[in-house]
Amino acid sequence: MPQPVSLKGSVLSLSILKVASADIDQVTQALADTTSKAPAFFKGLPIVIELDVTIEDPMFLALLVEFLHQQELVPIGVRTQEKGVIEQANYAGLAVFDPKDKPHVDKALDSAAPVVDAEAKSLPQTAMMVRGAVRSGQQIVAKDRDLVIKGSVNPGAEIIADGHVHVYGAMRGKLFAGSNGNVNARIFVQKFDAELVCIAGFFLLADDIAPAYRGQAVEIYLVDENVRFEILS
Amino acid sequence: MARVIVVTSGKGGVGKTTTSASVSAGLAARGHKVAVIDFDVGLRNLDLIMGCERRVVYDFVNVVQGEATIKQALIKDKKTPNLYVLAASQTRDKDALTQEGVERVIDELKADGFDFIICDSPAGIEKGAQLALYFADEAIIVTNPEVSSVRDSDRILGILQAKSRRAELGEAVKEHLVLTRYNPARVEAGEMLAMNDVVELLSVDLLGVVPESQDVLQASNAGTPVILQEGTDASEAYKDIVARFLGEEKPQRFLTVEHKSLFRKLFGK
Ligand SMILES: Nc1ncnc2c1ncn2[C@@H]1O[C@H](COP(=O)(O)OP(=O)(O)OP(=O)(O)O)[C@@H](O)[C@H]1O
Ligand SMILES: [Mg+2]
Repeated sequence: MPQPVSLKGSVLSLSILKVASADIDQVTQALADTTSKAPAFFKGLPIVIELDVTIEDPMFLALLVEFLHQQELVPIGVRTQEKGVIEQANYAGLAVFDPKDKPHVDKALDSAAPVVDAEAKSLPQTAMMVRGAVRSGQQIVAKDRDLVIKGSVNPGAEIIADGHVHVYGAMRGKLFAGSNGNVNARIFVQKFDAELVCIAGFFLLADDIAPAYRGQAVEIYLVDENVRFEILS
Repeated sequence: MARVIVVTSGKGGVGKTTTSASVSAGLAARGHKVAVIDFDVGLRNLDLIMGCERRVVYDFVNVVQGEATIKQALIKDKKTPNLYVLAASQTRDKDALTQEGVERVIDELKADGFDFIICDSPAGIEKGAQLALYFADEAIIVTNPEVSSVRDSDRILGILQAKSRRAELGEAVKEHLVLTRYNPARVEAGEMLAMNDVVELLSVDLLGVVPESQDVLQASNAGTPVILQEGTDASEAYKDIVARFLGEEKPQRFLTVEHKSLFRKLFGK
């Protein structure tokens, strides 16, 4: 019988909300502007708050948390070492993360200027998206993330990702997934005709791949250091 | 507003200059003011195909280097009004062109009221070809139905998307495909790639297919863009290409083998 509960190492990605103003009205206004641009994206998004300014207002965090809930975001913690902020966090029921820790945190989710850094980026880093053909001589590298290609990868082109790779088109070039050594990385290809496939350093050349998979929609993964194919129906 | 069009291919000898000459003449014949520039410094032959080699006094390099004005160097075509040729130099080396110089020439042509500025690129993917495509708003990719030509066209498309000025500004260069020296019999025999395969691989809109034809060589020997050789397949193909380039809808032609029927042969009908 399985244990009623068990604690697993955390592998979740969180978005960080960097706050660079101590004026709650200014912050909420900028946040409202940002979330209104992509409400569906922000709905239910887990958020860790990081304060880049010193907060005087003892209600600041409570007001911010309440506002985030109103916007249907899910604030779950604060990244801080400041005593006053930790106190406010405890009071607001938020977890406290040490800023020195860099657990699986997605790239900063900044609310729009002027509250946060000038070149605020409003989306967290998810898979890298490429639209259109990847052409001979071109190389696409998705560091620390998945790669989605909406288009074909032509002969002589290379696509490389630390994570999974999806190709919605014909795959005719060279393909590398899990290139940082991730043996669990998988490849999904709509029309397979690659020159080479490689997962975490284990590769197959075109000549070594059964012809039955050519032109098919396939999933490719590793089983004990062997590259395996499965036709997707 | 002037449109700058580069005619490029990567691979050499596929029909860039032939296409530049015919598209330029075709656009001019339809009343547009056209300048066609030969970027193939050291190997000039656009002026030969256009039949104006004897009238080249100053060339593109002279203008880029400030040794002549555009007005002095532009050669007015004798057969087609509104058509002007800027020839390449035969005596200079490839490095004679500079980006600033080319930009100045293109800006001046725009200011002179040209509707189309056609840039006939040299072969390859190096500096000369990159300079020819750098200022382009649109590109005509010339490809033959064979693997190495298609591969090179794919590479030049990648360079257009990465290294043109439009790419640097985050804007797209509009791409068109011309598939030339197409031989339907050899395609049927599996000796050449079929039109569909080329278009699918390059994923660029097809402007048209030009059949392999003796008339092309004859026209260039005669110093006439083949589009002006009335009644030939190549002329018809290039006229279609010009029409589609200007936004007209035309069904594709010259894709199938013309089977000469035995009956006709025997009975001379
Ligand atoms: N449709 C065609 N049918 C038969 N021959 C053709 C056709 N198009 C071009 N050619 C021939 O192919 C040769 C090369 O053509 P052209 O000079 O236009 O190519 P190019 O791409 O400009 O070459 P380069 O890379 O040297 O500048 C010429 O001899 C020309 O006559
Ligand atoms: Mg040429």
